[in-house]
Amino acid sequence: MKTTMKNTKSIYGIFVALICLGVMFAEAQSPKAKNGTFALTNATIETVTRGTIANGTVIISNGKITAVGTNIQVPAGAEVINCNGQKIYPGMIDTGSKIGLLEIGQIPQATDERESGDIIPQMRALTAINPNATAIPVTRIAGVTTTLTLPEGGLLPGTAALVNLHGYTPDQMYAGFEGVVLNFPNTGRRGFGDRRTEDELKKASEKALATLNDAWDKAIQYHKLDSATGGKGVGYYPEMQAMVPVIRGERALLIEVNMQKDIQAALKWVKDKKVKKVVFMGVSEGWREAENIAKANIPVLAGPVIAIPNRDYDRYDAQYANPGIMRKAGVKVAIRSNEDGNGNYRNLPYHAGFAVAYGMTKEDALKAITIVPAEILGVSDKMGSIEVGKSANLFVCDGDIFETKTQVSHVFIEGWKMPMQSRQTLLYEEFLKREPGLNKN
Amino acid sequence: MKKIFIAIVAVGFITAGFAQDKGSVLIKNGTVLTVTKGTLTDTDVLIKDGKIAQVGKGIAAPQGVRVIDATGLFVMPGIIDAHSHIALDQINEGTNAITPEVYTGDALNPFQLSIYRALAGGCTVSHALHGSANSIGGQSQTIKHRWGTYDANSLKMEGAPRTIKFALGENPTGHGRRDGTQPQSRMGVEFVIRKAFNEAKEYSAKWDAYNKAKLVKGFRGAPPAYSLRLETLADILSGKIILHCHSYRADEIQMLLKVCKDFGVTRVVFQHTNEGFKVAPEIAAAGAMASVFADWWQYKLEVYYSTAYNATILTRNGVVTSINSDSPDLIRHLYHEAGKTQKYGGLTDDEALALITINPAKQLGVENRIGSIENGKDGDIAIFKNHPLSIYGVPQYTLVDGIVRFDREKDAGDQRIMVDPKQTVDATMYETGHAYDFCMSGTEWLFEEVENNKK
Amino acid sequence: MRLRPFIPILLFMLIPLGLLAQDEQELSPVTRTYAITNVNIIQAPGRKIDMGTVIIKDGLIKAVGKGIAIPAEAIVIKADSMYVYAGFIDGMTRAGVTRPKEENRQRPKDPGNPPPDQAGITPYADVRFSINPGDKGLDDLRSVGFTAAQIVPYGNLMPGQAAVILAGGKSADQMVIQGRSSMYSELTGANNVYPATLLGVMATWRDLYRNAVQAKSYDALYASNRSGLERPVSDRNLEAFYPVIDQKMAVIFRSERLLDVNHVLTLKKDLGFSAAIADVKDAWPIIPAIKSAGVKTYLSIDLPEEVKKDDKKKEAAASTPAQQEKEALEKRKMEAIQNYAAQAAAFQKAGVTFGFSTMSAKTKDIPANLRRMIAAGLSEDAALAALTTNPAQLLGLSDRMGTVDNGKMANLVITDKSYFNEKAKVRYVFVDGVMYKMEVKEAKKGDPNAKVELEGSWSTVTESPQGRAEGKLTFKKEGSGYSGKVSGGRLPSPVDLTEVTLDGNALTFKYTMSFGANTVTITGEVTVEGDSFKGTLSFGQNRTTPIEGTKDPKN
Repeated sequence: MKTTMKNTKSIYGIFVALICLGVMFAEAQSPKAKNGTFALTNATIETVTRGTIANGTVIISNGKITAVGTNIQVPAGAEVINCNGQKIYPGMIDTGSKIGLLEIGQIPQATDERESGDIIPQMRALTAINPNATAIPVTRIAGVTTTLTLPEGGLLPGTAALVNLHGYTPDQMYAGFEGVVLNFPNTGRRGFGDRRTEDELKKASEKALATLNDAWDKAIQYHKLDSATGGKGVGYYPEMQAMVPVIRGERALLIEVNMQKDIQAALKWVKDKKVKKVVFMGVSEGWREAENIAKANIPVLAGPVIAIPNRDYDRYDAQYANPGIMRKAGVKVAIRSNEDGNGNYRNLPYHAGFAVAYGMTKEDALKAITIVPAEILGVSDKMGSIEVGKSANLFVCDGDIFETKTQVSHVFIEGWKMPMQSRQTLLYEEFLKREPGLNKN
Repeated sequence: MKKIFIAIVAVGFITAGFAQDKGSVLIKNGTVLTVTKGTLTDTDVLIKDGKIAQVGKGIAAPQGVRVIDATGLFVMPGIIDAHSHIALDQINEGTNAITPEVYTGDALNPFQLSIYRALAGGCTVSHALHGSANSIGGQSQTIKHRWGTYDANSLKMEGAPRTIKFALGENPTGHGRRDGTQPQSRMGVEFVIRKAFNEAKEYSAKWDAYNKAKLVKGFRGAPPAYSLRLETLADILSGKIILHCHSYRADEIQMLLKVCKDFGVTRVVFQHTNEGFKVAPEIAAAGAMASVFADWWQYKLEVYYSTAYNATILTRNGVVTSINSDSPDLIRHLYHEAGKTQKYGGLTDDEALALITINPAKQLGVENRIGSIENGKDGDIAIFKNHPLSIYGVPQYTLVDGIVRFDREKDAGDQRIMVDPKQTVDATMYETGHAYDFCMSGTEWLFEEVENNKK
Repeated sequence: MRLRPFIPILLFMLIPLGLLAQDEQELSPVTRTYAITNVNIIQAPGRKIDMGTVIIKDGLIKAVGKGIAIPAEAIVIKADSMYVYAGFIDGMTRAGVTRPKEENRQRPKDPGNPPPDQAGITPYADVRFSINPGDKGLDDLRSVGFTAAQIVPYGNLMPGQAAVILAGGKSADQMVIQGRSSMYSELTGANNVYPATLLGVMATWRDLYRNAVQAKSYDALYASNRSGLERPVSDRNLEAFYPVIDQKMAVIFRSERLLDVNHVLTLKKDLGFSAAIADVKDAWPIIPAIKSAGVKTYLSIDLPEEVKKDDKKKEAAASTPAQQEKEALEKRKMEAIQNYAAQAAAFQKAGVTFGFSTMSAKTKDIPANLRRMIAAGLSEDAALAALTTNPAQLLGLSDRMGTVDNGKMANLVITDKSYFNEKAKVRYVFVDGVMYKMEVKEAKKGDPNAKVELEGSWSTVTESPQGRAEGKLTFKKEGSGYSGKVSGGRLPSPVDLTEVTLDGNALTFKYTMSFGANTVTITGEVTVEGDSFKGTLSFGQNRTTPIEGTKDPKN
């Protein structure tokens, strides 16, 4: 074989470039998602609810999973994706996000997660979710297909919405759950800038609790009058109208609560008020109250897991170990990333992975970002596992999804095959070997 | 749950009292990730009096030397963070745009739990940087995480070169706008830095002239006014101080490269460098280096056009790159942050590990001392269960100068050295994640006014 | 000369006007010679004379010993079995210093380059210009045995120079023992201007000091031969450093935290001046460094509050992990508190000569704090030395004070029992030969079986030959205790009672009145019988007036 040195070099160069670019750039990308019938073959399938299937096939058609297993007939006309050596997981669900509401931090014009007012449950996150947010493709190509987008602010800052990370309108994205957020009165300090005295802290939380109780009592009154008059007798009162489904147990109350004392108080409050559908969020000191949370049968959306302990005397790994401890005590635990500040909801599997490294079982941790949040939010009929009849929210990757280096190669959201690109990958393509380089001419 | 509680109740293994001591340890039978000399399986590392004395197989333990059985474990050089603000009581002297005279080594706090928590993430050395409130901030200090010392000064890594923090972009211009002073734009940032450098040149010239004149017999005259500020700037110009520059956007990175070229400053490390990938060839050509986040973006406009592939692009373009934390949380899992470069660009294990070991060591000018497992280097070691780049990697022991400063099994949960006698027992501090820029801490008072105006 | 150099003229209710007016006409003592007889004399730590006599004349100690003839003109104090010590010396305090008025200054246009005074740099300033002889803090200090103190100016970075004064006297000048005793500094930043942080403060210290060294050397050059040299510009801030540079004056730093001490040692090492650390609270782990640096040391006499063990809780063994955690944390807290109490003992053990400073202490807690330190291992002799001979030595005043010896200033404290005895009471204090007699209050025991309904409004009358005043007292139940207010008469608005205790039917209450720069605490002690009470109001030194009250009917 006679090849010139130059040729060898350039061939080698292309080879290296391909390796560097990785699987995702091996084929030309269309920025559009693709619908149709897909057959994902030869894969290791992590169904989550029905064990692991080796060498299996998943058929996706009309947005649904239509077949899962071995010896599956590939339908005629299906696009076959050979997943040899790859794994298929259900799409991950991050129950702690601001996706679509927060485009750029520190710029008021680019943030919509916070409205004025302390008791404003009628503010709906879904209304303001920007389907073209830059974070959406960044997040979904990591295999996070669905997020709970939360408003933030005062006591009852609004209503959160679960969305799939694909669609051109909020309605197309909506994934079937909305819940009212309650930031439970907090007795702890909120970060290093909080210089209130112990007394001031106590008074502030007492005042907040009184405000909350007043709002709750009014909501009950409104519900009673509304029921008694068949919905005609009471006037326009948007705050209370937003609370009524919570009072009636038709909608969940998502309670953000973290410190031990606050968890205790929230448990008591929920019991006293006989709140019908409750989910705790955050729960960073859940490990201190795990038995009681389990006893109260309240599910939790825990996280961030990769975080520093709340107290200076806490063991360094208190947050890492928190989900595992709660799970062991019998709490239903979903894990959330809550990486609002840095837009890194794509790190959700790492939060679960740290929980595993510090004591949770792998199985529980995987459930905690798939089927468990789906169950907690009442959408497990549609997502959270790879089962026939469910929406085709799933992804293909080259290994254990908790592992940092694992590459996701395909993502399907409601049966749509996602383009595997985001601004971050496009910048990589453009700048890995910039043209022109150092010299323009 | 019990385990955590019991760890608190157990009588603490307090490591106090041997801050400056050097230890001797034999680490047996581990998988040794030297970073610079490949991976050695079933290998021993002997540390004598704080220094790595021997790396090899079947090393016999000298008498009285503690042996750590690392069978099945991974042994790597202590992790180095080129951008951190832990162990500091104060971070920003942000009242003036130019404050090179200040020095973070004056505000070290050896009792901050962040030090221990960093050790629990395998991190043995960090760069205690001044904040980014002003264009020319303060001199900074490379510290060793000698947890247990009561002497703030003994955290200082003896012999580490002097460094200084510069800052470009939104943080210094934001300060200017609030104070009604320069700089309020990136144009102004360049100007105040050039102005400071020019003043320092004049200052040096005056002193040189004075010192020269003094040599002439019978000279009588007044010395030029002394200024610690100008003196420090002059030290930057004469190459005595490594310049670390907080920067995000490509244009401002190039601006500083040009300023440094004009003034003959050659040792430059860019910090954050989120758009470094756009000017990687320029950074490489100037011999400058870059210290970056693995994947942070979106928290303000100047990081909006970031990519998690930044470290890979910089590395592939020949820039000596490190992954840093700028956070008391991230500093606890830099191994994981480095692992992300395998997802975003497929760096090799050694390349990824270099980002948190030998590369930051180069950026701090201490690569002859730390950053790899080689004979003669400091006995700063992290020992992991599972590979450190794996999500399942868990630090088991962390050694500084051959002394075990973190021991996952034995350490008490409550690691406080100084207990506040007035603190209520269940005092709580709740912080959600890391949604703010630690670079700006210590400047809250500047914002209070703004907050009050809002109300 | 007046026995009580200062009683504020107060126009507040409950205290009849005339009683105060009487004070203004206080007669001078007949003689300045005193004989304290039959007294246990603790001349100095470890040096004791049982049942001897001390003669004081014209402000000096004239004779100390047994079998000494008592001068005919002497006022004799029969101090049978009492104890006399050298008056205590406070290493650092702001008692007696007028607090400057809060100035509402504009933030300067360029906060990065504020005028020096706004940056906290006025090292030339002299605390002697701010002495307030009538400050209540001095009365308080004296009441626990202090007769002299080093006072420092208000301010942070370099607010000025300290002085040693007597804890009592007619005028500022009369009280000063030594001006410019030290330069004072706190390593804290200015408000919103450069230097705002410790970082800037340390840099400012270095920059100013080195500038001062340079200026001083040029001043000297200029003074030696002015011809052909540019005139040095006078700078009072830099000039203030000259005695520091010459090691003629130490810089005293407020150094409560261990890290503050660390910073002082760093500066001292860098710049080479002579330093003192004061109000030191938690530096026991770095004693060797302090010792080898040779800094003068004043330990804080303040201690964190003791946590009383709840014995009942103790019995039940902690069963849940949460309880175990809480117990472990409480244990660490107790240990921490104990460490604070043991600091002085640790310094004693290390052989460091140290004094005490009262800067941040509650004066009334001082005797108890000393007992806690002794219980934690400090010897009584060492405690006494830290109150007397050590500070005298550290301040260079050993020739004048610190011991009960012939020829020293008549600064003495006389107690009925050994000072460190829990039941000891200070009976007399001599400051510069002037006697202050301390009122000894016997705690009144109330009738424990009496039922008192305190809550509500009470009308009060105080009466004396000089006048009559009427007022109101109201009490409100607050948990297990009471709160209250006093109003009426000449009071412009009601004043909160600061302390209300009801023991059986013995009621005590306190309130504080501000009068210009002065504050006076009034203490009421009455016995309640049904709907009326009788007792006394006391204020200042030994001033009392009777008070009666009747309960207002409920409406």
